[in-house]
Amino acid sequence: MTPNTSAPSRRSFLASTAVAAAVTGGMPLLAACGGSGSGSKEGTTSGKDAQKVLPAFVAQNVVTPDIASKNGSAAGFTSKMSLAELKTSVPQKLGKGSTIKIMSPFWGSPPKSSNPYYSAMNKVIGAELVWQNQDGNTYDEKLGAVLASSDMPDVVVIPSWNMGGKIPSAIISKFADLGPYLSGDKVKEYPNLAAIPSDAWQYAIFGGKLRGLPQPAPTVTGIVPFYRKDVFDKEGYELPTSAEEFLALAKDITNAKAKVWACDDMKWTAFNIFGVLSGGEKPLGWNLVDGKLIYRVETDEYLEALEWTRKLYAAGVVHPDAKAVNQGNAGQRFTDGQVLMYNQNISDWWGKMAEQATQNKDFRISGMDIFGHDGGDPELWAGSPAGIFAFINKKASKAVIHDVLAAANVTAAPYGTKEYMLTNYGVEGTHYTVKDGTPVKTDKGNTEVLNAYVMLASPAPTIAHPDFPDIAKEQVQWQQRMGAFTKKSSFFGLQITEPARYTNLSNDFEQLEDDVVRGRKKISDMQQAVSDWKSQGGGKLRDWYKKLLDDNGSAQG
Amino acid sequence: MSAVTEERPKAPGRWAAPPRPVWEEQPTKAGLASKGIVLAGACLGVLFPLWIVVVTSLSSKQTISEAGGLVVVPKDITFIAYQELLSGGQVTRASIVSLCVTLVGTLFSMTVSVLAAYGLSRIGSVGHRWMLMALLATMFFGAGLIPTYLLVQSLGLTDTYLALILPSAISVFNILVLRAFFMGISQELIDSARIDGAGDWWILWKIVIPLSRAVIAVITLFYAVGYWSAWFNASIYLSDQDMMPLQNVMIQLVQKQEPPVGLGQAIKTGQLSGLAVQMAVMVMALLPVAVLSPFVQRHFKKGMLTGAVKG
Amino acid sequence: MAHGTTPGAAARTASPAPTDTADPSAGRAKGRTTATKPAAVSKPSKGGTFRTRFKRDRTLILMTLPAIVLVLVFNYIPILGNVVAFQEYDPYISDNGFIAMLESPWVGFEQFQRIFDDPAFWDAVQNTFVLFALQLVLFFPIPILLALLINSVIRPRVRAVSQAVLYLPHFFSWVLVITVFQQIFGGAGIIAQTLRQHGYEGFDLMTDPGIFKFLVTAEGVWKDAGWGIIVFLAALASVSPDLYEAAAMDGAGRWRRMWHVTVPALRPVIALLLVLRVGDALTVGFEQILLQRDAVGPGAAEVLDTYVWWNGVRNQDFSYAAAAGLIKGVVGLGLVLAANKVAHLMGEQGVYKK
Repeated sequence: MTPNTSAPSRRSFLASTAVAAAVTGGMPLLAACGGSGSGSKEGTTSGKDAQKVLPAFVAQNVVTPDIASKNGSAAGFTSKMSLAELKTSVPQKLGKGSTIKIMSPFWGSPPKSSNPYYSAMNKVIGAELVWQNQDGNTYDEKLGAVLASSDMPDVVVIPSWNMGGKIPSAIISKFADLGPYLSGDKVKEYPNLAAIPSDAWQYAIFGGKLRGLPQPAPTVTGIVPFYRKDVFDKEGYELPTSAEEFLALAKDITNAKAKVWACDDMKWTAFNIFGVLSGGEKPLGWNLVDGKLIYRVETDEYLEALEWTRKLYAAGVVHPDAKAVNQGNAGQRFTDGQVLMYNQNISDWWGKMAEQATQNKDFRISGMDIFGHDGGDPELWAGSPAGIFAFINKKASKAVIHDVLAAANVTAAPYGTKEYMLTNYGVEGTHYTVKDGTPVKTDKGNTEVLNAYVMLASPAPTIAHPDFPDIAKEQVQWQQRMGAFTKKSSFFGLQITEPARYTNLSNDFEQLEDDVVRGRKKISDMQQAVSDWKSQGGGKLRDWYKKLLDDNGSAQG
Repeated sequence: MSAVTEERPKAPGRWAAPPRPVWEEQPTKAGLASKGIVLAGACLGVLFPLWIVVVTSLSSKQTISEAGGLVVVPKDITFIAYQELLSGGQVTRASIVSLCVTLVGTLFSMTVSVLAAYGLSRIGSVGHRWMLMALLATMFFGAGLIPTYLLVQSLGLTDTYLALILPSAISVFNILVLRAFFMGISQELIDSARIDGAGDWWILWKIVIPLSRAVIAVITLFYAVGYWSAWFNASIYLSDQDMMPLQNVMIQLVQKQEPPVGLGQAIKTGQLSGLAVQMAVMVMALLPVAVLSPFVQRHFKKGMLTGAVKG
Repeated sequence: MAHGTTPGAAARTASPAPTDTADPSAGRAKGRTTATKPAAVSKPSKGGTFRTRFKRDRTLILMTLPAIVLVLVFNYIPILGNVVAFQEYDPYISDNGFIAMLESPWVGFEQFQRIFDDPAFWDAVQNTFVLFALQLVLFFPIPILLALLINSVIRPRVRAVSQAVLYLPHFFSWVLVITVFQQIFGGAGIIAQTLRQHGYEGFDLMTDPGIFKFLVTAEGVWKDAGWGIIVFLAALASVSPDLYEAAAMDGAGRWRRMWHVTVPALRPVIALLLVLRVGDALTVGFEQILLQRDAVGPGAAEVLDTYVWWNGVRNQDFSYAAAAGLIKGVVGLGLVLAANKVAHLMGEQGVYKK
């Protein structure tokens, strides 16, 4: 019917989508877009070439974590925090008073542009950072347009899930090479940046040059199969240790009449159980087996994982709203008790606990260990060492670049320092109060201290929850146990820009996976798609990767 | 020249039924009943979901959690979701922005559209067909986001409120509807005015517009609703959060309740449910309708524009 | 401007003097307020020099000018950007996206070839047309019928309340409409759970590819049918009661009066909306379908707009998206012209007339 086209913005329909999908479905579970590029910009940088541009690593010795990072885990801080003994990691402010415009994605309601938190941060940094906090759900569109104009902000923050299509090409042509400021010993001017692990820096090399300021991430899988520990304990359910046991337990739990289903969509866990190569970023899906590179969709494990997930759906143990995909939110169904198991980013471990603490005192969430499908040890694949990057406009003056790095040096301050507290909690008394030695955000803190400054650069992966130190401990221990089973695929840690013509080649698999597990398509359709993929460019892409491997060497070993 | 007269039914009370014309037969009972059933059914089909939405917006997190989603039967009433929306002062500022953009934008759009619709309403006038085709084609051929953004930026409109009005100021659909109604006006009336020496401005102002009040009300509503509910242009063309109109602030407030994975630091614990906030936003979005509806309906009274044929 | 300098003007001057100046008061004789044929007296003659005709019509041109300027600047200039459909456009190879258009390599019709070679495109086209046909048959008439129904209600209070209620769903976002449908008709929805509690099997209307197109149409009706009536009510507001009275005097009953007075008053508006709807056949609800696409899979749910979004916009394949947009535009324009022609044959004004 036509009258509803009356809105002045006919085009708004054409772009609103991601938004709506994200409002209901949350962020993409795993960022499904890999890198791409065009012309001579494709490829990667590793080995000696990378060594030339990488900043020197100088471990920070200001604060020692209670659980050191191991097997690709985060570092854990589990003892009581002593706010009185916060260390100083930035003894004198390095900024020289430039004004810096920063465009960054933001989820939620941004605070007013002049507020006590931003002023306090800018004062410590010594520069005037002006945040252009953009709606995270339409960031794709805004980013694509802004990068095409000749009038860009000084700094642009780009998460890896927004690096689809031609964005990598833009990163290479529009952003400054930070090598002259950070490579080798130069980084020592910014001690907190020097403490960022080299893995993360290496991943910030785009087109042969160090361009990004990374937000480091643990390389162990981020997807945890969560379960309702309180309900499991009460009902006496035992944690499954094989794919078969999981299915049996799920059938046992499901009671549709009482509006209880065993689980939400478990596809990503199935991939982990069956040892499927990482689907996070495309280069990670390639691995050298007996001298031949294979892609994740070509493996038997991939089909087995899909077949098993398909069984879950067919058995009716998956919540119907999960079958309808964009409907509601798995975490919500979990806390409501409509599903007892779901898989989600590890941050939900603390997130759901904190959310439910005042609501449901009995609520307990826990992550189960990922098991091998046959009951043996699982085979897991490492993820990317960094997920979000800040880039500096190549037209920026030296003074501006210097001040951005000065700001990053503050935001990358490690846990236990005054700068970390300021970045993550704001000003004591204004944004948080201390209760029994634990900082608690005030209303003002909840409105102002959100994801702005943390997007600039972060310290090495850290897990610390002063309110729930036990959860922090469980999380790190889980990561370390899983890390022990984690291997690195051939292109681990390399920032790879695929040739433009292959960028979208593998994009349709995720959709097909969802069709197959929900029973709308057959496994044989997937096999057909894989053979089409090979003939339509998959084979050539394999050759391209093989050459890359021969030229650069592998990350393995 | 005959003056245009309006015959407003002079009913004793606003809601009293006008007297049934003598020539109209009494309605049959079956007819009345079936009409009633259809109308009541349609209204119930709308009101039941609306009830769910309102009740959910007024429910606590506990109640929503127990219901496992939207709440049908209210258990406790809390205004916490509305408090959350109205706290922080952003909504007040954003409402003023939206109101101004809607007022100015609608006035501008209506002026341009009414003029264009009249300008195109005389078949065979010079350039009529080409101009019509030029407008019509834009309904089918759109431009990509990047060229549009670059244009708006090079005109210096980014980060100004004009960017929320100018790029999408006219809807060709609305112009075509206006034009169709204008062309339906009795030509004798216009011709006689013309013979008396009236120009096009006079005819538009004194004859066409007064006789087209119903459709002008409708199209004004279309434009106003369009401006009020638009958010995409603001999200692309504005960078300063302090300038954002209401819709964008509302969208962000909903997202705030469900931060994306990995950025969970903003989680606000307590009694508030994200679903309730989402529903509260929807309820508030219905407010303009409640305000505008009577305004439009005044223009829908049967036979109020009878002057046209008497001319 | 010298007369006859443009070929178009010359051609039109050459055409014989208008023959349609006769039949002065046809419209009135038939008793229509909304004249299907604009009274001919005022129809500008096609004779005379361009200069005199321009002088006669300059006010009209002046009035149309603001709208023309707006579309020229804000539509046509960016539309020129659609040249990237014939390129492998990378907006980032140059300092500015406009300059990048000059520097991107030309590939001829390669993008179009890619689209036409993709079986998924043809599936999307098929889904789009099926859905359009459903909407045309099941959706389009409903606002008209509702408008007639409300128009026949005499009590102002009933009219006002029912109108106001029926408008409301238009103001719900699609996200919310689909959430509400899911909570009522979904596999864990109110109806399914009630059935289960009474020992019956549950059901799930929301993930069934077989009925998806009906579901989408039903959601559309729920959301927008009530809003759709207001244009028709506006048309009905201008019908003179005298016409009803005259018809009643002639012995026409309730239904005959509706058929001979009410319906003719609506015809031009219906024809206009129908023509525009046909022209817009390739647009069948973007946000609504994208939100539900994954619930039933692209096999049943992919339509042209979502196809373009997935393959062009989401992957930032600007050239591909532009090519698909051009195809859609050409088809849409062709359809609207054809529909307009049909409207003329049926004696309606349609969108435009020569």
